[in-house]
Amino acid sequence: MNMDKHGSKNFLLRHETILFVALVAEWIFFDAVGHNFGTYDNSCDILRHSCEIGLLALAMTPIILTGGIDLSVGSLLGLCAILFGKFWRDAGMPIPVAAVCTIGIGALAGGFNASLIAWLRLPPLIVTLGTFSLFRGLAEAITHGVDTFTDFPNSFLFLGQERWLGIPSQAPIFIFAAIFFWLLVHRTTFGRSFRAIGFSPEGTRFAGLPVARRVAMVYVLAGIVSAIAAIIYTARLGQAKADAGTGYELFAITAVVLGGTSIFGGIGSIHGTVLGVAAIAVLHSGIAHALLPGEMAGMLTGVLLILALAGSILPKMISGLCARKSAPRLAKQIS
Amino acid sequence: MKRTFLLLLAAVITIFSGCKKNSAVPLGDNANSTPAAKKLTIAFLPKSKGNAYFVSCAKGAQRAADELGDKLIIDGPTDPDPARQNEIVENWITLGVDVIAAACENKEGISTALRKAQAKGIKVITYDADALPDARSFFVNQATPQGIGYSLMDEAARLCESNGEFAVITGSLTAENQVEWRKYVEERRAAAYPDMKNVSVQACDDLKDKAQSEATALMGAYPNLKLILSTTSLGVPGAAEAIKQAGKTGVVKNIGLGLPSENKRYVHDGVTQSVILWKTEDLGYLTVYAADALARSTLKPGDRTFRAGSLGEFQIEGDNIMLGKPFTFNKDNIDQFDF
Repeated sequence: MNMDKHGSKNFLLRHETILFVALVAEWIFFDAVGHNFGTYDNSCDILRHSCEIGLLALAMTPIILTGGIDLSVGSLLGLCAILFGKFWRDAGMPIPVAAVCTIGIGALAGGFNASLIAWLRLPPLIVTLGTFSLFRGLAEAITHGVDTFTDFPNSFLFLGQERWLGIPSQAPIFIFAAIFFWLLVHRTTFGRSFRAIGFSPEGTRFAGLPVARRVAMVYVLAGIVSAIAAIIYTARLGQAKADAGTGYELFAITAVVLGGTSIFGGIGSIHGTVLGVAAIAVLHSGIAHALLPGEMAGMLTGVLLILALAGSILPKMISGLCARKSAPRLAKQIS
Repeated sequence: MKRTFLLLLAAVITIFSGCKKNSAVPLGDNANSTPAAKKLTIAFLPKSKGNAYFVSCAKGAQRAADELGDKLIIDGPTDPDPARQNEIVENWITLGVDVIAAACENKEGISTALRKAQAKGIKVITYDADALPDARSFFVNQATPQGIGYSLMDEAARLCESNGEFAVITGSLTAENQVEWRKYVEERRAAAYPDMKNVSVQACDDLKDKAQSEATALMGAYPNLKLILSTTSLGVPGAAEAIKQAGKTGVVKNIGLGLPSENKRYVHDGVTQSVILWKTEDLGYLTVYAADALARSTLKPGDRTFRAGSLGEFQIEGDNIMLGKPFTFNKDNIDQFDF
């Protein structure tokens, strides 16, 4: 009985719940203030615009759970986008083959990050800062910064611009990825080992878990997901250029942290990340529909991030204070 | 965990069921009045928001909208993400604006969004940098690439007495309009000034300090350099600063495309000889007048001329509304312009 009460109290104070309330408040506010904000068309646009960053954020969550970071996902998106274009236009591959090859490249690039981080034990921040420049540089070198891939067939552009069963056609991919990552992180031993590694890599190793393999896995997954995001991005814009996805890594990290994942690893959830992505996407769209200047999006994202973090820390601090107050009393009772 | 999942599910359901099913209403406040008297909503998209060039365009656009009694929405990217312009346009589509006037950063990329706007009955006009022809009705052409390239080269040759080495600083090696302008600079040089030699082309990524370091490097690498020509507005003050610091004022001449306000100081100091540009406020002004006329169907494909408020009549060549010849700002006239 007591346990149950405690559990529901925790549930109400949990970061995800607070973020969810903030998201609903955001929605109600912009629906009242904005013009044509709450329409079905706009909901679809919000979903469409958040697919690529959403995918990157999903892949980023297990990485941050292990206490790592991947700054190279945005650059890898750019590299994969132009390679996809090259496979299709210059190598003459049909779109599905080009897509599979691009995903293979994504896995290879993720594997490159993984081998440096997991086996050479180099810090993820430094490794991916390096590949952040390397991948973007490669993309620019391959296209000489000039080449742009366009004129994709309409059957491919459908993936990025049309609707399928009433929802944006790229949305099922995002939903599928979200379910996959949710099951991976919350319902498998893999997921539990990511958290364990985040709390204590050494301890996890002594517990007999293959830490290097597990860490490698999350970076390879991020590579694959970046490649998928690149293909969706290309379909949405109808063009692939070397500057695709500039700055997306920071949006993804922001969404993950907003979703309650600790940047030090160990704590976090996929549903939190999904809420984080939604909160940012709704904010961006809402500002445009309320006819507010676009620069406010960056500012308000910052405010939202700080408020959400403060909102989830405050209850813990209060309960911490209560616990400290009751502690001496307890000590007196014992003596 | 299960409860959170259910909560999420409930959220998605409430959000989607709460949606007013495609009940998009137009932004204009008096939808049932006659079309001629209707107040239009014009969306004005610059390439980037903070750029002084587009700030000045927007000023002219606002003046035109005030004269016409239209509502003007100005929004543009503040970060270098090439997808941002598309997202802004897509937001305007659901917002229900009447007409979109866009300066396009990525021709092919934004065209998909502009076509979508046209399919929803929104009129589209481009200015400054064009989209693909099927994605807009008209392009307000600030100056032909030929006019710009030739004007720059003629001015360079005049200052160098038609011989010697010069170098080019460009915004980016890739941007459509930069490539075109450089092509016509070269065409004019080859045809009219064979004794002049273009020794180097450097990109400054539209950054003033990069332009400055590139100019310093150019002066070091080519001691006989007589002139630096910038095809981007931030290149001219950047190069001017480099020339001044190197103590080569007047020895290495400096010209290029640029805003008078950013170059006034250097022109008066004699570091920069002349700045070439069109009147950017007029560009914004003409664009909004044309956008308004297009939405009211008083401007139609096939028209040969167009009258824009206090600026008078403009020529239309095909689907290009021509702003006219570039203007040269120098010591004598630069103080008359405040953009």
